[in-house]
Amino acid sequence: MPKNDVAVVGIGQTKFRSKRRDVNIPEMIYEAAKMALDDAKIEPKDIDAIIIGNMDHFEGINFSELWCGIDAAPGYLKPVVKVATGGTTGSSLAICGYYNVASGIYNKVLVIGWEKLNEGGATTGIITAFDPVWERPSLAGALGPLALMANTYAAKYGITPEQAAKVTVKNRSNAANNPFAHLQMPNITVDYVMSSQMISYPLRLHDCCPQSEGACAIIYANEEETKKVTDNPAWIQSVATAHYYTFGTDTIMFDLPSAAIASKEAYRKAGIKDPVKDLDVAEIYEPTSWSELSWTESLGFCKSGEGGKILDEGITQMGGELPVNPSGGVLSTNPIGATALVRVAEAAIQVMGRGGKRQVPDVEKALSMGFGGSLWTEILILGKEPKR
Amino acid sequence: MSKRKDKEKVFEIKWKTDLPYRYSIGKLAVKFFEELKNNKKILGSKCPKCGKVHFPPRGVCADCLVEMTLDDMVDLSPRGTLAGFTVVNYPFVDPNTGGMRPFPYGYAIFKLDGADTYTMHFLDEIDHTKMRVGQRVEAVFKEERQGNIDDIPYFRIIKEEE
Repeated sequence: MPKNDVAVVGIGQTKFRSKRRDVNIPEMIYEAAKMALDDAKIEPKDIDAIIIGNMDHFEGINFSELWCGIDAAPGYLKPVVKVATGGTTGSSLAICGYYNVASGIYNKVLVIGWEKLNEGGATTGIITAFDPVWERPSLAGALGPLALMANTYAAKYGITPEQAAKVTVKNRSNAANNPFAHLQMPNITVDYVMSSQMISYPLRLHDCCPQSEGACAIIYANEEETKKVTDNPAWIQSVATAHYYTFGTDTIMFDLPSAAIASKEAYRKAGIKDPVKDLDVAEIYEPTSWSELSWTESLGFCKSGEGGKILDEGITQMGGELPVNPSGGVLSTNPIGATALVRVAEAAIQVMGRGGKRQVPDVEKALSMGFGGSLWTEILILGKEPKR
Repeated sequence: MSKRKDKEKVFEIKWKTDLPYRYSIGKLAVKFFEELKNNKKILGSKCPKCGKVHFPPRGVCADCLVEMTLDDMVDLSPRGTLAGFTVVNYPFVDPNTGGMRPFPYGYAIFKLDGADTYTMHFLDEIDHTKMRVGQRVEAVFKEERQGNIDDIPYFRIIKEEE
């Protein structure tokens, strides 16, 4: 059991774009860190430790926490820990920061995820994250394997490209309500998605997430410190992590077994019996339109093969019983090291009721999910009350 | 997309770097590539505890945390069954060569006969309408083999009676 209850008390994120050539990495990190500190109305001196992360080899750099985490973060004369776990980097950061406060080691921790993808090659970088002898030769970064997943999923359940396209339409039109989202497309149509270029069958361009630049920061506090800074925190009710494989294709993995395992554990810890009824909103990590259909099934929102059905029934739409990705999700914004932390930040924003046009009414409990290249899943459940 | 009104001033410093690496491939992989080069054989590794046959061969069974040695390597069929496929149709730099990976190319996830895990490799097909889940595939071996994965440049789709 955690020693302390932990809440999100401050949030910062940059406006995500395909390129941020106007700033270097520390300057971009500073924007999110300063915004989170201002949001919590605290000073750098009030922060006990910094947890920072990105995927260095995507930018062709290394040890970036040493030159980006010290002044901009701000980690001067503080403990600075770097976390890098691929797509899950942001959720690993969030869980690592949570552990540091829940354990009683620190009272207040600043967590920062960032990526500046346009400065390197994400596909090339992702390939280097896999076995150099067996996997690299044919691996095509993230989209190739995600295409295989979509293809096996479609073959098993008879899912159509049109059903997948509806996910992009939902998420990118949601993004138009989120001032921080990268791709905001209020008038996007199914035809537009389905007539875009075939990138890797069955994935078309608009079935795929973009590459974004930007940073996200959240501040955690224990119960005592939370009371001092805000009367509207978002409490972490449970966290869970599940890993799955040795080689990426050891199993047929379209349904992301780690998502089922991690979500069940997170639901149990947070006292959630029926996720659709007990959760009010979900910010999931959907790198492609097809993955949202499949993984809402793995998260227990519906039966296998019915991801498209709950979308058509409006359950996962804004105004539905369990809106999925009011922020626009990963299909709209994907700064890799920040992507899963944005899910946590957006879940916190929903719990705090600060979502503006993207706000879901009366959110008591929110789910956030991180997905990583090693086919692992991390879940955080946030709520208006600490789970005790 | 909205046009940015004030054009960003671009100041770039460009350079190009070679970053050579060398990797130890592991005991089982050495045997695998020797057999591939000399005898056109494809070997997997069988867990001495649970009997699961892994391909690619590896030193530890993740289910049992039991070591697999050269004695646990078993012959696999060069044929298998397609579970999923795609045609990669986008440009990127291949970190193993430093140059652009040629595209489009077909690649697939399939299970070799005799293996319990799936694997992925190139397919000799770039028309997705000619592929379907459940098709049979077969390894194509180079005549002049070097002892690396390129000795099987791709799998080809076959009719079972071939």
